[in-house]
Amino acid sequence: MKIFIKIVKVVFTILLFAFSIVIIYFIALAPKEKRFKIAEHSQGAYLSQTMFDILKFQYPNYSDAYFEQSVAFNKRGEYAKGFELLDKAVQLDPKLHLGYRGWMKLRKLRDFENSLSDFNRLDSLTPNFVDTPWGEDIDFLRGECYFGKKDYQKAIELFNRNIKNQKEDWTDIHSFVYLGLCEYELGYYKKAISEFQRALNQTKNVPESYFGMAKAYLKLGQIEKAKENILKAENSIYYKRNDVYNEFLNEIYLSEILEFKQILN
Amino acid sequence: MLLSFLLAITLAIWVYYQITYNIGDIAFDKNIDNSEFIVCNEDRITQYYSVGANYQGGEKTIKKELNELINSLNFNESGLITYRFIVNCKSNAGRFRVKMVNSDLKENSFKSNNIKQIQESIKNLNGWKAGEWKNESLDSYYVLNFKIQNGKIKDIF
Repeated sequence: MKIFIKIVKVVFTILLFAFSIVIIYFIALAPKEKRFKIAEHSQGAYLSQTMFDILKFQYPNYSDAYFEQSVAFNKRGEYAKGFELLDKAVQLDPKLHLGYRGWMKLRKLRDFENSLSDFNRLDSLTPNFVDTPWGEDIDFLRGECYFGKKDYQKAIELFNRNIKNQKEDWTDIHSFVYLGLCEYELGYYKKAISEFQRALNQTKNVPESYFGMAKAYLKLGQIEKAKENILKAENSIYYKRNDVYNEFLNEIYLSEILEFKQILN
Repeated sequence: MLLSFLLAITLAIWVYYQITYNIGDIAFDKNIDNSEFIVCNEDRITQYYSVGANYQGGEKTIKKELNELINSLNFNESGLITYRFIVNCKSNAGRFRVKMVNSDLKENSFKSNNIKQIQESIKNLNGWKAGEWKNESLDSYYVLNFKIQNGKIKDIF
């Protein structure tokens, strides 16, 4: 009986130590890429943050750890901490992280000036290469920055450059929508309509184009055309450009369309 | 065996704590939070982007509805005032926390009277829409930024 109890004690001791070793291994000793993945997938949890802290302590030049740790802070509106981490990632590997930081400054902070500065610096580091920060053409993003700054002439130049980079049939249709919006702001309503139409040549479901055209036709005094387009905008609103995280600069809403429709009637 | 047991139990409790709690969680604080604002499930408050919590008509509409406030408030510095709060399953906003940064994204503070006025205005907005998952309304955290430039609120997003 005594031997049996001893065996049970030894087995439990081994099992409990094994449990502890497994936890310590996955948190502090496994290959850094494996731990990065675990921490990335539990984004925002204290465990994730602790694992990134350990990774940064063990590999002070691991820029991805700083970058990924920043994401949860920025998503929660804790920008002082988030950008402190992101700045460190950029400092360690500018080519890899400048695009994301510029993208974040544009979409999360609407800090157009500093976003442009990041995109321009990235561009200068990668000559003869069209960068795609966070999957979007750098000139499209720079166009959005100028649109945000209300520098519509410069925005037109960048959106056109984006269309040239990507080719007419492959570019983001919102390049055309933005071109239409810029021409509208500059008072060139006929040109605005033709730019909105370029988006509709790619697909019929662009409510932003119909809405923009309705406004431009109203300015030109063509009420019937304006009514026709506002109806199309209403019917295609399901396809509008939106994002779960932030409102886009050219985002439209059904309520605005309905308000405009009432003005026309 | 006692040593291995203590080590394992300590690690298990620590891991449980580390997995359960998230950065940015807002626990009820009786000193600053309104006790009439109730969440449906204290253990399951998600992020707005996971369940689609939003303001009807978007931030554009908030800007319109707060137009009077935007024009009346003056600030001495530029930067961002960021409110993080809960939109509960009944589509009400509460349990506000605020973070402030200057134009260089370093921690900062703005006039406390202005901060309170904006907070009250957000609370009084009536277009909040609770997030949903599988036809169930859920509580979620929302983030709303006020961009301050040249002494005025320049943008809300």
